[in-house]
Amino acid sequence: MAERIAIVGVGQTHHKSKRLDVTTAEMCAEAVERCLEDAQMTMKDIDNIVMGSFEVADGYYSPDKWIIPELGAVGKSGLEMQNVGTTGGVVAATGFNIAATGLFDAVLCLAWQKMDEAAGAFGRGGGGTNEYWTGQFPMSPITNFARRAYAYMDRSGCTEEHFAMVRVKQDQCAMKNEYAQLRLGLTLEKVMNDALLAWPIRRLHMCPTTAGAAACIVCPEGKAKKVTNKPVWVEDWYTCHQGGSLTMAEDPTSSTLAYASNLVYKRNGITNPPKDIQAWEVYEPASPAELRWIEEVGICEDYTAWKLFEQNKVGIDKEIPFNPSGGVTATNPIGATPVVRLVEAALQVRGDAGEHQIPGTINRAMATGYGGQGENVIMLLRKTL
Amino acid sequence: MTTEQKQDPEFIQFRYPREVTYHHALGYQSKFANGLKQGRILATKCPVDGRCTIPPRIVCPMHHVRQTEWVDQGQRGRLISAFKINFPMFNSRTGELQTWENPIIAVELEGGARMDGWCMETDPSKLKTGMLLEAVWRPEEERQGRADDIMYWKPIEE
Amino acid sequence: MTQNLPEIPDTLVNVDVIGYSNFLVNTGATGTKFLKEIRDNKKIMGIKCPSCGKVYVPPKLHCPTCFARMSEWVKLSGKGSLTSYTVVRYEEPYLPKQPPFAYGIIQMDSADTGIAHFLGEVDLDKIKIGMHLEPVFKEEREGSILDIDYFKPSS
Repeated sequence: MAERIAIVGVGQTHHKSKRLDVTTAEMCAEAVERCLEDAQMTMKDIDNIVMGSFEVADGYYSPDKWIIPELGAVGKSGLEMQNVGTTGGVVAATGFNIAATGLFDAVLCLAWQKMDEAAGAFGRGGGGTNEYWTGQFPMSPITNFARRAYAYMDRSGCTEEHFAMVRVKQDQCAMKNEYAQLRLGLTLEKVMNDALLAWPIRRLHMCPTTAGAAACIVCPEGKAKKVTNKPVWVEDWYTCHQGGSLTMAEDPTSSTLAYASNLVYKRNGITNPPKDIQAWEVYEPASPAELRWIEEVGICEDYTAWKLFEQNKVGIDKEIPFNPSGGVTATNPIGATPVVRLVEAALQVRGDAGEHQIPGTINRAMATGYGGQGENVIMLLRKTL
Repeated sequence: MTTEQKQDPEFIQFRYPREVTYHHALGYQSKFANGLKQGRILATKCPVDGRCTIPPRIVCPMHHVRQTEWVDQGQRGRLISAFKINFPMFNSRTGELQTWENPIIAVELEGGARMDGWCMETDPSKLKTGMLLEAVWRPEEERQGRADDIMYWKPIEE
Repeated sequence: MTQNLPEIPDTLVNVDVIGYSNFLVNTGATGTKFLKEIRDNKKIMGIKCPSCGKVYVPPKLHCPTCFARMSEWVKLSGKGSLTSYTVVRYEEPYLPKQPPFAYGIIQMDSADTGIAHFLGEVDLDKIKIGMHLEPVFKEEREGSILDIDYFKPSS
């Protein structure tokens, strides 16, 4: 019988483009220290560790053998995994699965990325795509999102100015989040005149490279209630693969987000997403993608999200509080990002997000992870059971 | 291993340059590679919904049934989406950074399968979703059974 | 558009792809201090845990036993005993020395851990576990563990 589970502590590093002062293991230890402090626990209380990062981008394999000793966690049970952009989501989902068995008291979920150490990681095979087939093309996340953005503009009738509106909103939120990396004070003009990377994507539209780590502790119900008086209940989670290369998608602008979200909504009685969910932390690797993701999670009709930005309806204290932390375009330690989304969503539910807290009671929050060719991980959080 | 050091750095860093050759077996996709060498584009067809897929696969990713039927996709297709790279990117064949003049496009072929390719038209504003394109192949002796044996997709009149 | 396509052969195809990478590794504040001591002063330093008292070399920020933050540096003599070794006799790309060469784990005196390094000025067939060794530093040092050329039997 599955146990109900809750997040009892969260922690993240202050995300920067370079962290030359720490090794990867030391950076992870920083996030874990903060998480343990938040939960008022010690490493002795943790009996299972699930961890992962996008290994190829950092340049090594099986980093758990290096990091576990530096966490003082030798001898504890656990798993290590990687899954490109959804790594953090897969780490969290696995941590949830393990906690739900009730066999462990406290599961630590840790994800990180040290992108100041990557060099030419995407020079081979286009970064995670089928090596033989697409390796001859210089593909990367930038070009994948350029492809999506072109198709979105073509089908929705929006313009580059709408992409700039999205980016400015993300920046305004990031300015209120001390942990975010890019806090730039952007204007529409700055975004629209920025360097063109792969038409129609500009440099500011894309997520940055980041060195950062994030962690959370998940406990089964009985233990969670003893540890904290503000547990964040994990209502549901789902990991979803995409069928293969981008060209196979029915609609070249979308990913599996619509399919996965609808499945989660159906089995949790959510019929009106913008009303039933009060906080959204969705993994959007590029500003144009945010438009499509807003539609895919069911906030509005397909190909109309750009109108919401025109009407200034998206923001921390607006009708649609989408990515109040500044999102992935402000901070993207690839493997860790889904856990950063989870940490931010949990802070929103607890009311602890500080300057970027969404006003009002947050009963339900949704965090997602995105990766590769459109895989998604959905994580649904609740304030009360 | 070389240390990055001009004046004394505050934090020491090391580089590990490596060059590794990988040998990939194409297996079931070999027929596809052989088809490309002969100037033909083949795809496997799913027996459940009739959808053709490139790259070809032994098993349909959605329906988990064996795909044993191969279908020639023709020489023409329609534009699905496009992008053009404005910054230097690695050429994964040579390991060199280079600039790229031609947009990369996704094409839906006559047989229903979709594939990536290079576009002959270098001005992205002249590209429209749904425009008709025709494959322009490399000379036969240069084909290796790789995706870019189709040198470009050329826009043609309806 | 179903067709029989016997004229396209099924002969198996293999492709060779070269992967290029140039990864950059950070040593962090702790690692940098350790390497600069080696580079500038020819000294090997360890770090001590305030909670359990263990001394680690090469140094880390957190104690593997109790996860306490460590900041107390300890100067070591640099000498140690050989706990284990092997002689490499085969060729492989990216090896730091030409085979045959010996390397092993040298348990540092006054520390609780050992470091892995080459053994030199010693007959490859006469290496014994428990041998007492001392480091030999290169003349030109750049802030790397290879600034120690090898460990030789102590005089």
